[in-house]
Amino acid sequence: MVQLTDLAKALVNLEKDRVNAIVEDKLKRGIPPLEIVKELNDGMIEVGERFASGEYFISELIYSSHIMKEAMVQLEPLFEHVDLGELGGKVVIGTVKGDIHDIGKNIVVTLLRNAGFKVIDLGVDVGTERFVEILQETKAKVLGLSCLLNLAFQEMKNVVDMLKKAGIRDQVKVIIGGTPTDEQVREYVGADYYAPDAVAGIKICKEIYAQ
Amino acid sequence: MSDEIQQMFEERLARYHATIALEPTDRMIVAGTGSNYFAEVYAGYTRQEIMYDINKWIAAESKFAEDFPEIDLLRSGRIWAPIFDSVGFKLYRLPGQDLPPNTDFQFVEGEWMKADEYDLLINNPVEFLIEHRLPRVLGELKERGSSRSYMAFLKGGMAYMLMAQLMREKVLNLEKKYGLPQPFQGVMLAPFDTLADGYRGLQGIMIDLFERPDKLLEACDALIPDSVSCAIATANPLKQYPIFMPLHRGNHPFLSPKQFDTFYWPSLFKAITLLIEAGYTVRAYLEGNWTPNWHHWNEFPRGKILCDIDNKADISRAKKEIGNNVCLAGGILDRMFIFGTPEEIRSRVKELCETAGRDGGFILNGGCGIPYSTKPENFRAYIDATLEYGKYSDTLKPKLKKVPAPSVGKIPSPRVITPWEVKLKEFGGVMGDETLIKGVWETLEQRAFCWLRFWDW
Repeated sequence: MVQLTDLAKALVNLEKDRVNAIVEDKLKRGIPPLEIVKELNDGMIEVGERFASGEYFISELIYSSHIMKEAMVQLEPLFEHVDLGELGGKVVIGTVKGDIHDIGKNIVVTLLRNAGFKVIDLGVDVGTERFVEILQETKAKVLGLSCLLNLAFQEMKNVVDMLKKAGIRDQVKVIIGGTPTDEQVREYVGADYYAPDAVAGIKICKEIYAQ
Repeated sequence: MSDEIQQMFEERLARYHATIALEPTDRMIVAGTGSNYFAEVYAGYTRQEIMYDINKWIAAESKFAEDFPEIDLLRSGRIWAPIFDSVGFKLYRLPGQDLPPNTDFQFVEGEWMKADEYDLLINNPVEFLIEHRLPRVLGELKERGSSRSYMAFLKGGMAYMLMAQLMREKVLNLEKKYGLPQPFQGVMLAPFDTLADGYRGLQGIMIDLFERPDKLLEACDALIPDSVSCAIATANPLKQYPIFMPLHRGNHPFLSPKQFDTFYWPSLFKAITLLIEAGYTVRAYLEGNWTPNWHHWNEFPRGKILCDIDNKADISRAKKEIGNNVCLAGGILDRMFIFGTPEEIRSRVKELCETAGRDGGFILNGGCGIPYSTKPENFRAYIDATLEYGKYSDTLKPKLKKVPAPSVGKIPSPRVITPWEVKLKEFGGVMGDETLIKGVWETLEQRAFCWLRFWDW
């Protein structure tokens, strides 16, 4: 377990003013912005762990992301490009065509990025072909399909069928998630995994890239 | 309405009342769902056609009632789209408009109330709504003070009255022609959900939990009287149907149990208590998973509430933990209706009738509804199995109590924008019967206020 700095702890404890004050102070003292971001990121990972263990809830996840975003307002102008995510592997994710809900998907995206994955978030109501295009372009090994509505079952199946048609089905692991999904839906859709919640989804991505 | 149909209607309604009241009845309710999405599309119309053309909507329900004459309740569809169009309501994407004609309607997340507007909402909700929130959520109000914006209010008001009339026609068609009661009438949101769904949005409300908890609590309490009085204004005047409450952010794990106990429950409890004291029952959809928090439903008087348990939670566990105090609906996974087999449906219905549904107070349903893509043979299996396995008594005959439940305690008065006293002063007194003028003035004021709250979600 990483030793958390005061800044990381302030983030974990959801103390927004303290976080902003420490960031400001560190910048004044000449600490490199990238190092500050890393400390904040360690804090976000700990938040994710507490969510996984049931100590924190979506309320804490959303508020901690909000604090992180505000802290980044001070930091982002100071360097060109922060890329923490290359090492964890690429994940393409989106809510399928016909469905515009994304609260759950966005939580997964946040947790995945915190865990070091490079996430290509295609947003909502994503066309069947677009998933395939982006997978071919990025060579990502993981595709996450999200939904809230049960009309998405058929659409998820369409995506998996299209992966087969494009000849890339065996190069991609497909994970489905969202409130109405379960093992039987996974089977119907032809996906490789079903993630009952965000934390399970992250775990599956780690397993896939560890292989 | 023929005697036979009248009798069927009264029997079905009496059966529904007894089930909610946790009293003995003859059998399980058949297809006692509050949201029959399947019925909406069964006749072959697109979702857009149902939402825009009342004649097709009525025809669709009639066809469903004819093909499935065993069902005990019927309500399909949720949105009459023209009223949304009249004002440019931004909270929904609708089939046929910005969605293909056969896609489900969808809710649009947004921040429609700013963080610094709590005091205004608490102290002057009319100003908050008219000057701040409605111009954000109603696209036709974009240019304040323009003729178009004035017409938007007028058209929206006219559409509101027209909608009430058309919905009544639809309900009467089912009642008089098919003897079918409604699963509910009138609607109320939890005060926390009013803020979380259509005011602050999910992001906003979660930030408010940490940054302005006192204001959040105060606002939840401040919303209660108007939420209750507007719900009663649209409820069944004879109190024959429960009032509908779709409940959203009580869904675990949005809030911790402590946050639920502090922020979500107290104002919800007070609001529902006022409805019960006014003589109404409530049908609440516990959307998502309410397992850590549903014990609170034991705080209400027994037999006044029907809780729909969604697919994410275990209804057998709900039966053990709250089923002695509230009636429950649910038990069949949506995906079983969609791509399961009739045998699986039969088996599940049988299992529930023998366990959680054995002693009544139980309505078989999907997850707060019957899905759009239900296979007809699965719905048929659901009906047949309910009739086969859901019998309680050969001798009991449901008998409808026609006297509405009494009202106890103080029911909140509906809000008006310009009180009669102000108007009277402007008149400088009236020369004839004041009550004749006052009555209509106040009725219209109250309806107008409820129209402002209609756009909450």
